[in-house]
Amino acid sequence: MIDIRFVSPADFEALVELEKEVFSDQAWSKSAMLADLEAVHTQYLVAFDDAQLVGYAGLSSPAGSFQADINTIAVSQSHRRQGLAKKLLEQMVDLATRSGAEQMFLDVRADNESAISLYKKFGFEQIDTRKGYYKPEGVDAYVMRKEIHQPLVLGIETSCDETGVGIVRGNRLLSNALNSSMEIHARFGGVVPEVAARAHLEALQPTIDTALDEAGIEIKDIDAIAVTNGPGLAGALMVGIGAAKGLAQAFDKPIYAVNHLVGHVGADILERGSLQTPSIALLVSGGHTSLLLVRDLLDDVVLLGETIDDAAGEAFDKVARVLGLPYPGGPEIDKAAIGGDAESIRFPRGLSLPKDMAEHKYDFSFSGLKTAVARYVEKAEDNGEEINVHDVAASFREAVVDVLVTKALKACEEHDVPRLILGGGVTANARLRQLATQKCSQAGIELRIPRFALCTDNGAMIASLGAQLVMAGREPSGNSFGAESTMDVSKVQSL
Amino acid sequence: MILAIDTTAGSSAAVVSEGVVLGFSGFDDPYGHAENVGQAIGLALERAGITGEQIQRVAISRGPASYTGLRVGMAAGVAFATARQIPLHGVISLDAVAGFYAETIKDQRWLVTSDAKRGEMFVGLYEGIDQTGLPIRENDLQVMKPLEVEDYYQGITRIEHLCDAKAVGIFAEKSIAQGIELTDVSALYLRSPDVSPSAGKRVSG
Repeated sequence: MIDIRFVSPADFEALVELEKEVFSDQAWSKSAMLADLEAVHTQYLVAFDDAQLVGYAGLSSPAGSFQADINTIAVSQSHRRQGLAKKLLEQMVDLATRSGAEQMFLDVRADNESAISLYKKFGFEQIDTRKGYYKPEGVDAYVMRKEIHQPLVLGIETSCDETGVGIVRGNRLLSNALNSSMEIHARFGGVVPEVAARAHLEALQPTIDTALDEAGIEIKDIDAIAVTNGPGLAGALMVGIGAAKGLAQAFDKPIYAVNHLVGHVGADILERGSLQTPSIALLVSGGHTSLLLVRDLLDDVVLLGETIDDAAGEAFDKVARVLGLPYPGGPEIDKAAIGGDAESIRFPRGLSLPKDMAEHKYDFSFSGLKTAVARYVEKAEDNGEEINVHDVAASFREAVVDVLVTKALKACEEHDVPRLILGGGVTANARLRQLATQKCSQAGIELRIPRFALCTDNGAMIASLGAQLVMAGREPSGNSFGAESTMDVSKVQSL
Repeated sequence: MILAIDTTAGSSAAVVSEGVVLGFSGFDDPYGHAENVGQAIGLALERAGITGEQIQRVAISRGPASYTGLRVGMAAGVAFATARQIPLHGVISLDAVAGFYAETIKDQRWLVTSDAKRGEMFVGLYEGIDQTGLPIRENDLQVMKPLEVEDYYQGITRIEHLCDAKAVGIFAEKSIAQGIELTDVSALYLRSPDVSPSAGKRVSG
């Protein structure tokens, strides 16, 4: 029984030996081989017959290149003509597809007729010849290429106050149209669910049209529709779900109903062409404050902690109000904090005391902080004292950002994860970016902050998560899913 | 051929052509709109024996009705029409009901009412039908308490049938045939969102 799996360091020695056996004097040197095996952009598969390594294949697919090269496919003399090369090739094509490659390349000896015919069966075409490439005989190499169809997915996001429609092709961003009802909510000091839902319905048609225009595609060419069905405001989610189902019926397209929070993590794929895992994700917005451990975007997302009361963005809005600043509070507090002393007032760091850490190590709480700021301001007013708005804003912001960054870095450290992704509207906060950048750099952690349009709620991230599901061969969601306003982050897709 | 969608009560869809309902599918669940709307459309098309591309117009029920459910069907209709780049028409659900049951009414005037929640009703007053069979509504729709309705419209026949996509589709087709394009496709809420800016309150005593 042949078992094919990803290579592990324990296989390296055997692999170098098999390379020598198969390619004799053309074989890669051990050091070149090891360097390629360990490179970030390569994936190697090994085939074992019981304990014996009998074949391997290597793929190179640098993130963001949208191309993949088959570096090698090797089968031991003892196991030829048993379909093993075909199996390895099949899996290479699958890996290339999942890595987002739109084209796949390989070199083959011009005299290797059986290999050439196998590649042709898989859709590879000869596009070039390298004269006398294989030494010492001087045999030509054929360069062959296969076009890979990456799924064209339209994503719809309506979980809060942003109507987002985005279009992606595989890992590539094509358009990201957005209509926000934020201005209407401003007079209420926060998002009003009924107001948001009404605005979504009115924004649907223009947002869909803009997304299609910007992507330069027609809706009939789309392979699938993705839609956020939770977590979020139920009435708002249902507008997006209704729209997704209407679109799907218009052209008989499959729908993928996906998790909004996992979508935020998936946004980074559109930024660099792939998602590196494991990763810690800190999602901070007006509706969420969640810390996730992402080992695999589709199969292994764990909620480490979340806010037990207000979201961080909500705290910014409420404190802005206390200080007489307009909604949304984040940018206003940022402005007011300029020139303020962040150390001047020691506001509480929620759930950071040793007694809280036992139960709420990665949870957040901002309600007490907001009350502390309000008390501070009221006390000053009662005593007829002027408050220094700059100092209050800076000190409050520091208290929020300090807890966010400290807990995120603790999660990285404790789970031995060398990267942190930020998402959500609060990533626009200047101090959050600054402190996260500084602390991550000190700790040797890679910090990923997608561009702002991909950080706030948007349709492209939902399309991206949908595309990942299509690329992984997952079944669509069927036609009877509904809104799940408290959807758990471990559930990536509703079936 | 018109695809009509209604989620004012249950969720339903109908394919209507020349006064005939070619395919219909309805789900009674008053809360399952998001779950059912796709199936309703799919089944209506299937039962009519057609695909989405044969639909030439979409008619949506604008309410008045419970907001959250209403919007699901409207969103589906907007998206369907946008995708296929075909005209979208908005039908007031009480008008659709008034038209659908007009022939069964012997009286000259009648009321159509539907549940407006919060102890109130949506009310439309109709006075006969025109020569094309469309009901003639006397005034703007109202939101009233049941006692007010009884008091105000004493002795007038009342229809309380729920709206569905058949009534919407047939109403739309008749109207369009008269050159009434029903271009207003906004939701008919008849109430403002239940929210007002608050003045903010003290946290310390």
